Amino acid sequence: MHSDTKTTKPARAHRGAPGPEGLSRARRARGVVGFGHWWWALPGVLVVLAIHYVATGVGGFFAFTDWTGIGSFQLVGLENFQKILADPTKVLALGNTLLLAFGSVVIVNIIGLAIALALNRTLKTRYVLRVLFFMPVVLSPLAVSYIWKFIFDYNGPINAILKSVGLESWQKTWLGDPSFAIWAVLIVIVWQQTGFAMVIYLAGLAGVPVEVEEAAAIDGTTLWQRFRHVTLPAIRPAVAISTTLGIVNGLRVFDQIMALTNGGPAGATETLATQVYKQAFSLANFGYGAALALILSAIILVFAVIQQRVTRGTES
Amino acid sequence: MTQHRRSHAQRIGLFAAPLAIGALVLSGCSGNSGSSTSDSQSFSLSYAVSTGVESPFETLAKAYMAATPGVTITLNAVPNDSFSQTTSTQFQAGNGSDVIESQPGSGAGQGIITLAKAGFLEPLDDSATALIPSGNENLFQIDGKTYGQALSISFVGNILNQTAATAAGITSFPTDFDGVLADCKTVAASGGKSMFVLAGAAGPNTGALASSIAATRVYAEDPKWNDERTAGTTTFAGTQGWKDSLQAIVDMKDAGCFQGGAEGAGFDAITNGITTGTSLTMFGPSGAAADLARAAAGNTYVVEAFPPATSSDKAFGLASANYSLSLNAASKSKDAAKKFLEWMAQPAQSKQFADAQGSLPVTGLDDLDLTGTNYEPVADIFKNDAYVAFPNTGWPNSSVYDALGTGVQGLLTGQTTVDGVLASMDTAWDQ
Repeated sequence: MHSDTKTTKPARAHRGAPGPEGLSRARRARGVVGFGHWWWALPGVLVVLAIHYVATGVGGFFAFTDWTGIGSFQLVGLENFQKILADPTKVLALGNTLLLAFGSVVIVNIIGLAIALALNRTLKTRYVLRVLFFMPVVLSPLAVSYIWKFIFDYNGPINAILKSVGLESWQKTWLGDPSFAIWAVLIVIVWQQTGFAMVIYLAGLAGVPVEVEEAAAIDGTTLWQRFRHVTLPAIRPAVAISTTLGIVNGLRVFDQIMALTNGGPAGATETLATQVYKQAFSLANFGYGAALALILSAIILVFAVIQQRVTRGTES
Repeated sequence: MTQHRRSHAQRIGLFAAPLAIGALVLSGCSGNSGSSTSDSQSFSLSYAVSTGVESPFETLAKAYMAATPGVTITLNAVPNDSFSQTTSTQFQAGNGSDVIESQPGSGAGQGIITLAKAGFLEPLDDSATALIPSGNENLFQIDGKTYGQALSISFVGNILNQTAATAAGITSFPTDFDGVLADCKTVAASGGKSMFVLAGAAGPNTGALASSIAATRVYAEDPKWNDERTAGTTTFAGTQGWKDSLQAIVDMKDAGCFQGGAEGAGFDAITNGITTGTSLTMFGPSGAAADLARAAAGNTYVVEAFPPATSSDKAFGLASANYSLSLNAASKSKDAAKKFLEWMAQPAQSKQFADAQGSLPVTGLDDLDLTGTNYEPVADIFKNDAYVAFPNTGWPNSSVYDALGTGVQGLLTGQTTVDGVLASMDTAWDQ
């Protein structure tokens, strides 16, 4: 220990060009700012590597096997991926995944922006309303979905209201209707996510100078022109963040579908995420499920990269 | 120097602490997983639970501990919907319970054959072999070795709310399919009621519906149909009985047999419908009759077999040991666990388990007098040995039953056809 300190000092002195004053400054810097070494982060790095990257890598490896979840397995190459592409139900699941992701992001952002504009400055009750609109975001998606399941139930309030106003012919099994079920899921997602988009847009709108808007108003611009040419360009970073985060979250939708329809009726609301779970854990097709997960990860990765690019572009 | 040394020691400590804490956390996690116990007198038991009511497994385990002082059974109750996944994950990780609830055959994740083929189960003694229901050997054995101990016999068919049926004008359960359709119309005409209640969004229930009908259309004529399908000499799509079974579901839907919104309903619809009397009959295992009787004390529930196509066809049903116990091959308490299994195999315990579950004891079934019990309507089926095991226990993987359950929902919504469902089942079988 003692000898270590003796040997390191001259070595650093040889390398240290600044001289005695610079050396003491460097020592002070090491004592305050330089307190710490890269390997201090090693435990955290190792945990992250083990939990995220190694686990993901191992999961990705199983995509090329026929492992059932127990016992031995064999390498099957790209067979799982070929099966996925040849199975129309998996193609439907991919379509539903993209529909829910893009459908929710468009509707959530339009409504979220509209609410944010309405609650930005003038309304006296805006703080209360902001809380009310944001509240669904903090609720558990599973709890929210079970409430909506009751609402959509055949004996639930929607059909009861329709019956009470004489529209019995409009009654239907909302979650059991293959043409409506996916839209029911979309409604629930939009209902819960809109508050999140609203908050992002409110943060963006806070940075728009009032003077600029007033100047535009004095110049005789209409409300739409002010929004189109003044407000929207100013909140473009918020738009980029909200839309890309919305797409990535939309691609991973799982809880709502499992609670509302369990992927039914007859697979009409299956997504890649629900199929990953069912194949890997319910139907003992772990290798096949891993292949689906790999495809879903690749899609999310593409949109995550787009998100990074768009955000960086707007910052610059 | 002292300060430097302390600083170095602190650095090492800072570096090592997270690792040590991590190791402790991880070991703590694994320690609570119900892994094999090393105490020769003690062992762990893992079983599925779906309600807050005490499980028959828990009842019998407590009785065993009371009867054999010094023995401790660690009870691991796992939610029913994740039991299969939990079991297989624990076995794969090497920390499964010493004794687990298993399911005969290979149609489920905790299937005896599935787990035994993977090398996770220990062969059992002759006392377990003696309990295998006749003709069900392939669901419990591989190469003559027994890997599961049958616990009770369940009948899978219809459970009729006799009280509500009488009130709706149905004094006797139909004996042929025409009678079924006629009764459906009668009950529907009485206003707001249905002859059957179905959880169309729940694959296990739609699967039970199709399987109950297939008992008379497929297995009554050909009890070895599963073996033929395994041998590749027949297919679902090529079997007229399976076509008739699924077509019967479409006919029932058209006749208004099911409650409104059946295609999107969950298990809650069954519970509500059958206990309130808005629906008269459900599809499921016979043990549910006892649960229903406890939940709705004013009603009488009896077990029925779904009628054959015509009254000249023979009555036939599905009955098998749906529940079994298996021994973990990696158990460190095999002797203690085997003594428990031997105790469970005795007629008194078999009866106690069956009573707690509302099923029939696995021993002495032939001598059992079912008169006056809720099994009386199916007594002749047992007496005449006119039953086979629940079909999916002999199917090679759980995807086949999933395809059936999902397909029946598709038939109810019009998304698919009879041929389409059967083709998807064949695909799942051959995967």
